[in-house]
Amino acid sequence: MNTRFQGGGRRTRAVRRTTGLVAVLALAGVTAAACGGADNAAGTPATDATPVAGGKLTYATIQEPGCLDPGYDPSTVTGVINRNIFDSLVSQTATGETKPWLATSWTVSPDGRTYRFSLRDGVRFHDGSVFDATAVKATFDHAVDPATKSLYAGALLSAYQETRVIDPRTAEVVLERPDATFLQSVGTPSLGIQSPDSLRRSAEELCTRPVGSGAFTFVSWTKNRDLVLAKNTAYQWAPDAASHDGPAYLDGITFQFISDDTARFGALTSGQVQVVNNAPAANIRTLKANNSLQYLRADSPGLAFSLLLNPTREPLSDVRVRRALLRAVNLDELVTSVYFGEYRRAWSLLSPTTIGYDRSLEGTWKVDQALANRLLDEAGWRERDGDGFRTKDGKRLTVVWRTGAQLDRDSRGVVAQGVQADARKVGIDLQYVSEDVGTFSQHIFAADLDVWGGSYQRPDGDILRFAFASDQGITKGGGNLFGLNDPTLDRLLNEASTTTDTAVRTRNWAEAQQYIIDNALAVPLTVGANLVGASDRVHGLRFEQSSNLAFFDTWLDPTR
Amino acid sequence: MTPTARWLARRLALSVLVVVGAATVAFGALQIVPGDPVHVMMGGAAPSPEVYQQTRHELGYDRPLPVRYGRFLGQLLRGDLGRSYQLHRPVAEVIGSQLWPTVQLALAAFGLAFVAAAALAVATAGRRSGWRRLSSAAELVMISTPGFWVGVLLLTAFSFRLQLFPVAGGDSLEGIVLPAVTLALGLIGVFAQVMREGLERALEQPFVLSARARGTGETAVRLRHALRHALIPMVTLAGWIVGTLLGGAVLVETIFSREGLGRITATAIAGRDLPLVTGVAVVAATIFTLLNIAVDLLYRVIDPRMKEVIR
Repeated sequence: MNTRFQGGGRRTRAVRRTTGLVAVLALAGVTAAACGGADNAAGTPATDATPVAGGKLTYATIQEPGCLDPGYDPSTVTGVINRNIFDSLVSQTATGETKPWLATSWTVSPDGRTYRFSLRDGVRFHDGSVFDATAVKATFDHAVDPATKSLYAGALLSAYQETRVIDPRTAEVVLERPDATFLQSVGTPSLGIQSPDSLRRSAEELCTRPVGSGAFTFVSWTKNRDLVLAKNTAYQWAPDAASHDGPAYLDGITFQFISDDTARFGALTSGQVQVVNNAPAANIRTLKANNSLQYLRADSPGLAFSLLLNPTREPLSDVRVRRALLRAVNLDELVTSVYFGEYRRAWSLLSPTTIGYDRSLEGTWKVDQALANRLLDEAGWRERDGDGFRTKDGKRLTVVWRTGAQLDRDSRGVVAQGVQADARKVGIDLQYVSEDVGTFSQHIFAADLDVWGGSYQRPDGDILRFAFASDQGITKGGGNLFGLNDPTLDRLLNEASTTTDTAVRTRNWAEAQQYIIDNALAVPLTVGANLVGASDRVHGLRFEQSSNLAFFDTWLDPTR
Repeated sequence: MTPTARWLARRLALSVLVVVGAATVAFGALQIVPGDPVHVMMGGAAPSPEVYQQTRHELGYDRPLPVRYGRFLGQLLRGDLGRSYQLHRPVAEVIGSQLWPTVQLALAAFGLAFVAAAALAVATAGRRSGWRRLSSAAELVMISTPGFWVGVLLLTAFSFRLQLFPVAGGDSLEGIVLPAVTLALGLIGVFAQVMREGLERALEQPFVLSARARGTGETAVRLRHALRHALIPMVTLAGWIVGTLLGGAVLVETIFSREGLGRITATAIAGRDLPLVTGVAVVAATIFTLLNIAVDLLYRVIDPRMKEVIR
């Protein structure tokens, strides 16, 4: 029997003001911007005002895209910009529910390998061409073509076999194996539908002059300075997840690239821009105290900033040593002091807004340095050397935390130093070493890391498979940096990615998260968040589940 | 052929070697740094094996080093700088579009620094007043203050508080004021010290004495007679000045979100964008050698005695 999803009628949604917050850790250089649901934490002030069209918004962002071809570039900021230029087959609500968009409905074959999409009529690309099934085929084929050298979109379609054009209004996507995350992936801006005519152009053209069917059209991009979008007045195919129909309210959006924290924040407080991301945690108090500004935040879904421990190498091959490290760190205190309470500490490897997050882990592994000391004694690390570090057979208990300079953002280096200090209290010599990107990548590919500290932004628990499944080795494009081969995790995570049964998926992801903490395969550290500052003129600023900002429902109050 | 023309021809021929040498050093440096360049260029993303192979092939890393170097030189001699890997655009085009904003910034900063330093030097040279001590102290502070800090201070005062200038002004006239002042402040100190030194030496010359004997006023002596002599060391500094301006542009362009060569280069080096890095090296080397030739030529004009020395 086919599972059928039908797009509901388009309700009168003009008044349904979502106060959903989307926060995106826009710094995440390479961690992909997947879009999706989100926690409905906060949002722009809940006014009952009726949206007013008009006005241009300037958004200062820390990062700049390298290339605007959604099929190529993996960075978060590219996703945020492209979300306005490109539409996807499906849309996602702030809680991660899948809703119709360019596809009005779809069916999934019983074996989970064939998706048949019915496509919306009357959609036109910015170049005037008509959207139909050939555009779907062209977009997906482009993403998996090795010549595209895709850094992310291709990986989203790792199960992709082909797209069949049944008729102009029907496209059928065939997968090599069932992929429970397929629809989620299709809804991301990375798989936003491109005009087939435009895809015939050179890579340079695709990178610098994107052509989609979205609510905003591309105007200009001045490298190192800004990127300008203008309203697509013909837009009549808003996603079901949005709050209104018809064209966007804003006449245009300017993305200004201001990488310096002080300059970016100053641009907001002096009224030169209306929205900034990556508001420095130390400035949040100023932001909250200022009546003409608003502060919005959303936790980023995916892998929380964590220290993954390599169980295949001494000394972390001993589970007691790994557990000792897990329990030695006083995270509550550390995270509060580094981030002034704006970031939360993590309890699971997944962040709380990730689909599949296991809440039951919260509070289960509080700091316990006495226990850590006992575990290390049991493991045979009883002697102490002159510096107070534990030794066994004359060897010091040393763990090397290598990192690339580009990963040390968002005060992570400070967190690392806190972890280092706590490890020292129980006699572990944790060395935090910052390396240039070349040397660091050499260590990654030689698989000789003791630990790896980092995060990945993704919508759901499938990120665990990327980081732990045995077929996700680094040379195969995966994130299993230590070459782990754990049958329990393989079974749980692979089943979760292929089953069509949501209950099974949720259960498996929960079990995997518990298994990782029980076996101390990682020390989850902090939950990243998108910290946004905005002028109080700005309304309807929404966060997607990915914690990325969405501008379709955004409007400017003309009276202020 | 006049001696000057012969000299010029020889210098131009030599400068081609210098440029090729600079390109070779840039090429070599990027081969020596650790790590697989293909992985680094992909920005740490984990590519699939097909994408990895495709990229490796396109960049030519599947061929031995001598072959790559040969191809690189061949392209260079044909004037083809290749395509930027990260920006997906021809290097010549990238540099062409980013060069002008940087030159604009550099010229503005140079002009400001020159005028300010000349004023300081003329006002204080040879005078043992408190003003001179104050000026010297201020120059020392300006030389030792890091540009990124000055930039943030200026932004805070003039953009955030007084709102006179934009944080990121693009290529508008208001937009260039704060970046140019930031860059100029680091130069004023050096310029003023060099010019004051030159002025003081010139003021001891007999022609100054005879000018004064004719009844020329002190200001006129300084401006009309001594200052010209004080400028000769500035010509010598030209190479250093261009280097400082280009290097300083990296920081200033970042803080003020300006487009320009400095920032593009910094990003290209971090991302191992080999074609772009070597392209910038070639352009910079060309500018430097041409400038040096121009300076040497200028000496022959300013000081005819040099004709005998420089052959």
